[in-house]
Amino acid sequence: MLAIDARDVTKTFRSGWLRRRETHALRGVSLAVPRGAIWGLLGPNGAGKTTLLSILATLLTPDGGSVTVLGHDVLREAAALRHRLNMASGRPSFLWSLRVDEIIAFYGRLYGLHGAALRRRVDELVELCELVPFRRVQYSELSTGLKQRVALAKSLVNDPELLFLDEPTLGLDPDVSVRVRQHIARLRREQGITIVLTTHYMREAEELCDEIAFIKAGRIPARGTPGELKRQIRLGEVIALKLDPAAVEWLAEAPGVLRCAEAGGWVECTVDEAEKRLPELLRALHADGVVVKNVQVREPDLEEVFVELAK
Amino acid sequence: MNWRNELLAVWAVAVRNALMASRNVFFFFELLFWPIVGVVSIGLMTRFLELTPEQASFVLIGTIALSVVNVCQLEVAYAVLMDVWSKSLKHQFLAPIGIRHLTLGSWLVGIARGLAIFVLLAAFGWWAFGFAVLAPGLPAVAVFVFGCFLTAWIVGVAVCALITLFGNRAEAFAWASVNLVLVLAGLYYPVSVLPESLGAVAAAIPLTYFLDAYRAHFGFASEFRAPIATGLALGALYTALAHWAFFAAIRRARRTGLLLKMSE
Repeated sequence: MLAIDARDVTKTFRSGWLRRRETHALRGVSLAVPRGAIWGLLGPNGAGKTTLLSILATLLTPDGGSVTVLGHDVLREAAALRHRLNMASGRPSFLWSLRVDEIIAFYGRLYGLHGAALRRRVDELVELCELVPFRRVQYSELSTGLKQRVALAKSLVNDPELLFLDEPTLGLDPDVSVRVRQHIARLRREQGITIVLTTHYMREAEELCDEIAFIKAGRIPARGTPGELKRQIRLGEVIALKLDPAAVEWLAEAPGVLRCAEAGGWVECTVDEAEKRLPELLRALHADGVVVKNVQVREPDLEEVFVELAK
Repeated sequence: MNWRNELLAVWAVAVRNALMASRNVFFFFELLFWPIVGVVSIGLMTRFLELTPEQASFVLIGTIALSVVNVCQLEVAYAVLMDVWSKSLKHQFLAPIGIRHLTLGSWLVGIARGLAIFVLLAAFGWWAFGFAVLAPGLPAVAVFVFGCFLTAWIVGVAVCALITLFGNRAEAFAWASVNLVLVLAGLYYPVSVLPESLGAVAAAIPLTYFLDAYRAHFGFASEFRAPIATGLALGALYTALAHWAFFAAIRRARRTGLLLKMSE
């Protein structure tokens, strides 16, 4: 069962009166997001992430293609769809003079909550997002982190089946980011919410997402699980060695070694296939009289994948 | 249509606008200072010019209408303006909210503020200048005040449409538009003194008819036949047109991306 089924979505922005300028934000994007998944959307600035997210959230209409979200066509059934989804942004903005509980209550009423049910929901969300001491504080007086928690609380007010999180940990302190990530994982685990997440933090994507799509210049050139993405672009694997003597010249020329670099007393060899190359390297080093003091094998992290794809 | 949810959404907007208004440092100026300054200066001018009580009433009715329409239309325009200023427009339109909820909710708050100003200025006008605003009786007053609110609603919704269509650039229009309408509606003079071309424009403004009908109670001959019915008919037409324009502007903003740009 798909939460999102988008096919060949295109969007072009036009600006200027006399000299019309066209920006092709999306050039035939297709994606399928299963229900209950945490799905990541990565890409450099201006790649089309926000455009795609906004189309899926009914804030923007596509020029071409078809988009079905939770079984609703985003063009024809947007009003019905809006009851079932919500969004939180890493750059949140709400009315400056409203207090935390008033903001949540305002949106709660728009989703049909009132009376005791509304009060109960506001209390739950204030507690869930650790906003209890700040519930009577005006929005303009909150720190960035607290504002983001308000955005998260607001985004949960209607118990959405689909939640869009646009860079949810942008600018947060590391400890708060960790808690937000834990919270996102809990939302999926306990409530089965489908979450579509954009982020610049590769660690966040790797930790949370079941599947990732990499968007670049309005197209999705790569997608898959973090592991699949790494394999798709053939970044290789890294064998890190602590050697005595510390440097061995011939290592970079050894069969299957793509490149070698020194980092913090370790020699990091990127190889095509670690399982095959590690025994060969260890035998060669032993034969050369080099002492291997420590060995680590790791996959390239998602950040390296991002850099490679963004080239 | 779920009526309970409809009313809740209107109520949500009304509560939000009321809370924002109550915390606005300029609220005092909008509600008390400027309206009273207006009545005092116009009232003193009528004394200086030695106008008859009827003529003074004619002018003071215009002054009160100016304040009531101004405050009420501004409140309606706030339905979009506040979200543009706070960059929260996308959150608002991500929720299941329709333009009817926005304009009705903010209009309710505008009516409350407009009524407060009307009562205040009526009392002040009576105390300072002996102007008996309630003399024509409650039904006539109610129709006149409703005409002011209806005009304010139309102008406010039109301003919302323009801001959604052109972004922040149209903000100045929110402040200026109502004054243009009021000048043409014959605030301080009968519209018959306007040049012929402007007279035609005045005849297209609902407030013109409500002012005309109310002033008739103070002994001024009506310039129109069935002014209240004409004012109501025009008001209904423009209300529908303004809401259609606002709806079309939002649909266009979703297409062009302006809705997102105004939230960045």
